[in-house]
Amino acid sequence: MKGGWLRIYAIVYLIFLYLPVALLPIFAFNDGTIIAFPLQGFTAKWFLELAAIQALHSALWNSLFIALVTATLSTLLAIGAARASTRYKFPGKAPIMGAIMLPLVLPEIIVAVALLVVLLQLGIGLTSWTVIAGHTLICTPFAIAILSSSFQGLDASVEEAAIDLGETRWGAFRTITLPLVAPGIISAFLIAFTISLDEFIIAFFLTGAEPTLPVYLWSQLRFPTRIPAVMALGTLLLLASLIILSIAEYARRRGIARTGGKDSGGFL
Amino acid sequence: MIGLTNVEKYYGDYHALRGITANIPEGEFFSLLGPSGCGKTTLLRAIAGFEHLSGGSLTIDGQDMSRIAPHRRPTNMVFQSYAIFPHLSVAENVGFGLRKRKDINRDARQRMVDEALDMVGLSGYGSRRAHALSGGQRQRVALARALILKPKVLLLDEPLSALDKKMREQMQAELRRLQRQIGITFVLVTHDQEEALIMSDRIAVMFDGQIAQMDAPQTLYRRPSTRRVAEFIGVMNFLPAARVGDEMFDVAGLGKAFIDRSQVMNGAGTDCVAGLRPETLSILFDGSDVPDHSFEGTITDRAYYGDMTYYDVVITPGTAPVTISMKNRAGRPILEPNTKATVAWDPRSLIIFGA
Repeated sequence: MKGGWLRIYAIVYLIFLYLPVALLPIFAFNDGTIIAFPLQGFTAKWFLELAAIQALHSALWNSLFIALVTATLSTLLAIGAARASTRYKFPGKAPIMGAIMLPLVLPEIIVAVALLVVLLQLGIGLTSWTVIAGHTLICTPFAIAILSSSFQGLDASVEEAAIDLGETRWGAFRTITLPLVAPGIISAFLIAFTISLDEFIIAFFLTGAEPTLPVYLWSQLRFPTRIPAVMALGTLLLLASLIILSIAEYARRRGIARTGGKDSGGFL
Repeated sequence: MIGLTNVEKYYGDYHALRGITANIPEGEFFSLLGPSGCGKTTLLRAIAGFEHLSGGSLTIDGQDMSRIAPHRRPTNMVFQSYAIFPHLSVAENVGFGLRKRKDINRDARQRMVDEALDMVGLSGYGSRRAHALSGGQRQRVALARALILKPKVLLLDEPLSALDKKMREQMQAELRRLQRQIGITFVLVTHDQEEALIMSDRIAVMFDGQIAQMDAPQTLYRRPSTRRVAEFIGVMNFLPAARVGDEMFDVAGLGKAFIDRSQVMNGAGTDCVAGLRPETLSILFDGSDVPDHSFEGTITDRAYYGDMTYYDVVITPGTAPVTISMKNRAGRPILEPNTKATVAWDPRSLIIFGA
């Protein structure tokens, strides 16, 4: 059989990757507090239990607020950086872009500890805003990566053509460039939003009195009776992430189709 | 109309434009011709306002352009990539520049867009998506979009280079017709000498950021001022020559001949170079009278083009061959290599350059 071993390898790889994740919804609907087979029967009560926990709700709202602000800030910063890196030549461009993209590969725990030390030294108290600062730092490189490919696919002369036809620089950017990279902007925003929503380490270090959802989740793992509810919450988060990422990818592909360009990749 | 005086452009240490001086009158089809990197596109972009001049001055219609932003200049441009707005329809593309004009209402705008599309032969294409068009159609949209604003000058940056041969020839004729019809100044950038010769009233040949020669196509072809210009435009044979009298020259392999002053370019001293176009030489077939000026040679190679045959003929063994082009008339044989041939030439079509 041609490529037989490679096919087996690919299947094993996918099982290894997704089996643990698949267990999440299975136990979320299991009628029993112990996470073990055999399953005890089907129930939706853990989801109902979620609805009753007040602390969870405030953690959820806190997370949504942080994710929204982070995604907005990251996307705005990324539009500027992506445009500069694809359109202009300036001294020190390579090291500057390298430094901006570095948080992509920097261990998050190092970033988190460093930020904590700096904030404490500056005497800034830990609030949702400190989490937002940390999240913006790690989300911006992702947004830049997505937007760079959007700007790269754009013919540099379309903006000049708009100026030539009587638009000001800003007018040309607004009427031509922005609509053309809009799908990239939506995609970048949603991915930054998802990363911030799911992020744990930085939130754990920088969060103040109000925990984010992942931090709250982690704190609940100490109570065995809460574990099925955590599983239910995890299932919902998984679903939300999948939906958001699908929308992001759809936006990116539609943008390429609309301008008749060629698909040069993306995160999905 | 367009006045360029000692125009200079530096990119850091790179000297892109060196003292460009030219006057382009109203209604002229003017071409900037040169190899890539000669500065022709930089000069065009400077006229459009996309490049700041490092020195010199640029006026359009007598008005100094140094403080006029590109979006306020009376010029419009057709970009090499056409720069069609891919998210807009054909009509929205063509009408883009009219949106800013408060004096034109929607009906008038619609009418102008229709007229512009009609002018470039795209009537009824208004509602199409721009990215679904072919190369030639995009070209026409770009043209309509620029001309709808009635600019004083239309700038064209290698507009035909992306089209196939047939389409290119068709667009060349069409651009020429359009330019005569609307009568505005066209400035075309091209690296294709044939295209420049076909379309232009006047051509500026540029090398290394300087204008080497600026003349009408016929003058440029028949009286190139330097060897470099002669080599860039068409094909030319070069033979070593010497000045043996006031207007007498001895050309290697061809012998002595009287050459009129108008055919002797600046810089030709005692040692010089004679230039001959392939079509000014002709192989004599059996039965023709041998004229005063002729030479014997051996055909070393030939290339058959259908309408023409190009022969390489060596005059003196060991020297480089000269190229001769012959029309393939009825009854005229195609000669094989290693055939002896008698070649007639005409001193009136010879040009003398400096060595």
